[in-house]
Amino acid sequence: MIDDTIVAISTPSGKSGIGVVRMSGKNSLNFATKMFCPLNKNIEIKPNLMVLGNIDLGSTTDLGFMVYFKAPKSYTGEDIVEFQCHGGLVVTQKIIEKALSLGVRLAEPGEFSKRAFINGKMSLDQAEGVIDTINAETESELKASSSLQKGKLTKVVNELQNDLTDIMSEIEVNLDYPEHDIEYKTKENIKQEILEINKKIKHLLKTEKQGKLIKNGVDIAIVGKTNVGKSSLLNAILGQEQAIVTEIEGTTRDVVVGSIEYNGLKFNFLDTAGIRKTDDKVENIGIKKAKQVLKDSDIVLLVLDGSKELDLQDKENLDMTKNKKRIIILNKCDLPSIVNLNEEYVKVSAKKNIFIDELKEKIYNLALDGCNTNESLILTNARHIEILNSAILMVEKILTSIIDLPLDCVALDIREFYEKLGEITGETTNEKVIDKIFSKFCLGK
Amino acid sequence: MKKYDAIVVGSGHAGVEASLALARLGNKTLLTTLNLDSISFLACNPSIGGTAKGQLVSEIDALGGEMGKAADRNILQLRMLNTGKGVAVHSLRAQVDKHAYHADIKNVLEKQENLDIIQCEVVEILVENNKVLGVKTAFGETIFAKTVVICTGVYLESRIIIGEYTKDQGPNGFVNSHGLSKSLEKLGFEILRFKTGTPARVHNLSIDYSKFECQKGDEGIQTFSFLTKKQPKNVAVCYLGYTNEKTHEIIRKNLSRAPMYSGFIKGVGPRYCPSIEDKVVRFADKTRHQIFLEPEDKDGNEIYVQGFSSSMPYDVQEEMYKSVQGFENVKILRNAYAIEYDCISSLALLPTLESKKVENLFFAGQINGTSGYEEAAAQGIIAGINASNKLNKKEPLILRRDQAYIGVLIDDLVTKGTNEPYRMMTSRAEYRLLLRQDNADIRLTQIGRNVGLVDNYRYKVFQKKLKDIEKVKQEIETKLDVKIVKNLLIEKNEGYSSLPLTAKELLKRNNINIFDIKEKFGLFENINNNVLSYVETEIKYEGYLKRQEILISQMKKNEEIKLDKDFDYNNVKGLRIEARQKLNNFKPLTLGQASRISGVSPADISVLTVYITLLNKINKKG
Repeated sequence: MIDDTIVAISTPSGKSGIGVVRMSGKNSLNFATKMFCPLNKNIEIKPNLMVLGNIDLGSTTDLGFMVYFKAPKSYTGEDIVEFQCHGGLVVTQKIIEKALSLGVRLAEPGEFSKRAFINGKMSLDQAEGVIDTINAETESELKASSSLQKGKLTKVVNELQNDLTDIMSEIEVNLDYPEHDIEYKTKENIKQEILEINKKIKHLLKTEKQGKLIKNGVDIAIVGKTNVGKSSLLNAILGQEQAIVTEIEGTTRDVVVGSIEYNGLKFNFLDTAGIRKTDDKVENIGIKKAKQVLKDSDIVLLVLDGSKELDLQDKENLDMTKNKKRIIILNKCDLPSIVNLNEEYVKVSAKKNIFIDELKEKIYNLALDGCNTNESLILTNARHIEILNSAILMVEKILTSIIDLPLDCVALDIREFYEKLGEITGETTNEKVIDKIFSKFCLGK
Repeated sequence: MKKYDAIVVGSGHAGVEASLALARLGNKTLLTTLNLDSISFLACNPSIGGTAKGQLVSEIDALGGEMGKAADRNILQLRMLNTGKGVAVHSLRAQVDKHAYHADIKNVLEKQENLDIIQCEVVEILVENNKVLGVKTAFGETIFAKTVVICTGVYLESRIIIGEYTKDQGPNGFVNSHGLSKSLEKLGFEILRFKTGTPARVHNLSIDYSKFECQKGDEGIQTFSFLTKKQPKNVAVCYLGYTNEKTHEIIRKNLSRAPMYSGFIKGVGPRYCPSIEDKVVRFADKTRHQIFLEPEDKDGNEIYVQGFSSSMPYDVQEEMYKSVQGFENVKILRNAYAIEYDCISSLALLPTLESKKVENLFFAGQINGTSGYEEAAAQGIIAGINASNKLNKKEPLILRRDQAYIGVLIDDLVTKGTNEPYRMMTSRAEYRLLLRQDNADIRLTQIGRNVGLVDNYRYKVFQKKLKDIEKVKQEIETKLDVKIVKNLLIEKNEGYSSLPLTAKELLKRNNINIFDIKEKFGLFENINNNVLSYVETEIKYEGYLKRQEILISQMKKNEEIKLDKDFDYNNVKGLRIEARQKLNNFKPLTLGQASRISGVSPADISVLTVYITLLNKINKKG
């Protein structure tokens, strides 16, 4: 009965060790295998078997598990594939994006439960719970993008739709009133106007990155060789004992995360294992991870010990982070400073809590560098981003159809484009176009 | 005491199709009319069809209705509009002989078995326990019937307006209906007041045609009816001319006498059919407006002046008309007038066109707030079929929006309602590419057959067409001579770096049509052109058609989930209050219909889906 495949993040948003992304629908296995590469190339994907492999995230991959549940023995009663990946929003979000690009649809609020119920996987007395889930998830999705941002987005998209209504009324009047002396727009005119709209959507999507900053926070990696005081610095910033601080080299083996809110922006600090060469197997995994964290982060805090001469490892770290947005920190400024740097740096003392607030301000400014949070519209909602991305694909289609195909086909392409945008604003075409036709053109017998 | 299975009130385009459908399906039927001379009267344009309307006529024909055949029999001129803009919007339009058309259909009715016709005025609908009993006439007679179909057009409490002059009457000087509207109001129907208008008719011999541009018909094109064998001849021409600044000046000078602007007319007029004074006011920057001269019949001298409708006083009309180039000496035979009339809110209807309030009472045509002969006839045949199906305890016929313009029309009426006379337009149909003039028979003949209106002859013609289509579809898969293919591609300015191997592949090229292939390769022997064009469209539009079909299959799922009309939505926990109220007021028949009601959100539909599944499961268990 239901034949499309849906996807959603199953684990709660926020920080967690692992994340689960779930796909349900007749073709979920087919989609899943297109974005998953088992480590053991010869392994056969069987129901209920966890398979280790690389999950395709577009530009990168994440090492994780894939599990296939065959219909009807699954939560929804349909074929389900679950990806278990690293936690946090970045990885799970990328898995979703990859799935959407393959043609999977983002699940509606409560849709997994709804499908489970319809397919008879739940008892009758659970119906009310399903209805509650639908409503709760609808609510939380509304809340997920702040009402202010949603209002702004709706307004902008509404304007785009108005432009489109104009174009559509031009085409429709041509089709419905062929005998009136109206100057119909040429295909070239229409093409230019569509391009104009396309430009505006692309501009909107540029804000997507900023949107992620605001929604998920700024990911800040703290990098530095062992014992320069990275964990102490983190603790000083967080104001609490978050990371394990010891004098023994290499004790921070995991990416420990602490978050603070500063001026309305969330900072997520990623403490990294000391990056240094070692033979310890467990620690080597940590180092590999640290390098990945470094790559994924928005800002890097490179910590140096100001009381000691820079060594080879420090220089390597300076070199490794030179292309990132970074702040160079000379820690231990309570001790006599002997380091000379040609680059801009800040001095702090993590241990004595000196200049920590100044550091926070500096991070804040750097994070917002180039994006004006008060003025511009920022996309934060995955669904909105998905919609705009598919809208762009539709424009490409229109631009070819408008040259080669008759007007009735072009009209359909533009209508679908309009309706895609309508998924954000809730506006559907019909009456608007017809209203426009009659207000704009003099028609009739 | 007279007793019928069905009474149809009104003999316009809706009443005719409704009564014919009922009688042809074996129901003892009475058709009442205010005037036998007004049967199937073309009160406005002497023309049938046009964009979206041509499609409607062919759909009526495919279901076994009369309009298409009658139009084809009385054609003065036939044209295919919109060629060059894509097949989906190709639309037939015919000038017809309005007097011959009336006489022709009157004759069909008179000869129809099971059908009685009587000239009388129905003034009251008799109802008991919310079920229809029959009607009462102005003579005082009571006629009983199991079902009644109301098709009273623009006649309810109508009045015409020409400047300061007004008179209670129907169109064209026919008497109006007085009393029935009150009876409907008493039964609880919401009465709306709509307005429309018509231009003057002028004398043929008073026109200087040299100032107008002649417009001829098209030769060798499809006809409305799929049964018409002989291509109708074009025996008349139309003319195109323009109003000018002088005309507009006269109108502006006399605006204070225009009932539209003096507040004299209160009814809501259609935006797509404005009077000339409306055009001049609303589009002040336009220096001219088109007018078309259309003959009213084959041998007569009355000319209909399309584009020049007005409710200005008679003397202003005269001045206005005479200001047009070529009209210097024009003689007005009948003045232009506006007409106001009562109609009901179509939201009171089920998609079967039966009223929600009174069982076995159906409504069709302009009484439901539509405009146009074709829209009326389309509702007429559906109301007739459903009245009959109800009488005979058969499943109702509800055409979906992807099946027919008729489906779009009725769905719009009963789920959205209308606040102005509703005209069908191709842009109202979201599945426009599927709802074409050329495939109406493919879409609907089988449905008409199941209903019982498609006779053996029509069915045979249809099956032959299906067979021919299959044959052509096989033939286009055969491999072609490479040399000829290459030459054809060069001739048609198509690239030939990769050579199409079959006719099907060749057809995908923009500049190559199926008739080129027929000619060059000698294929498709004994296949008629309509079949070839149909197959060509299916191939050239393949990608787009598939896309529409995917959307339809998604939409259909909700369309198939039925909702009980006694269902109380207040009991559905989790539905928003607004949705509960809207759904309770509306009582949609399917989940699909529910989703199209404004104020019902997708989340509400999800909740409803779960709730319905729950009910079904409980029912199965119980």
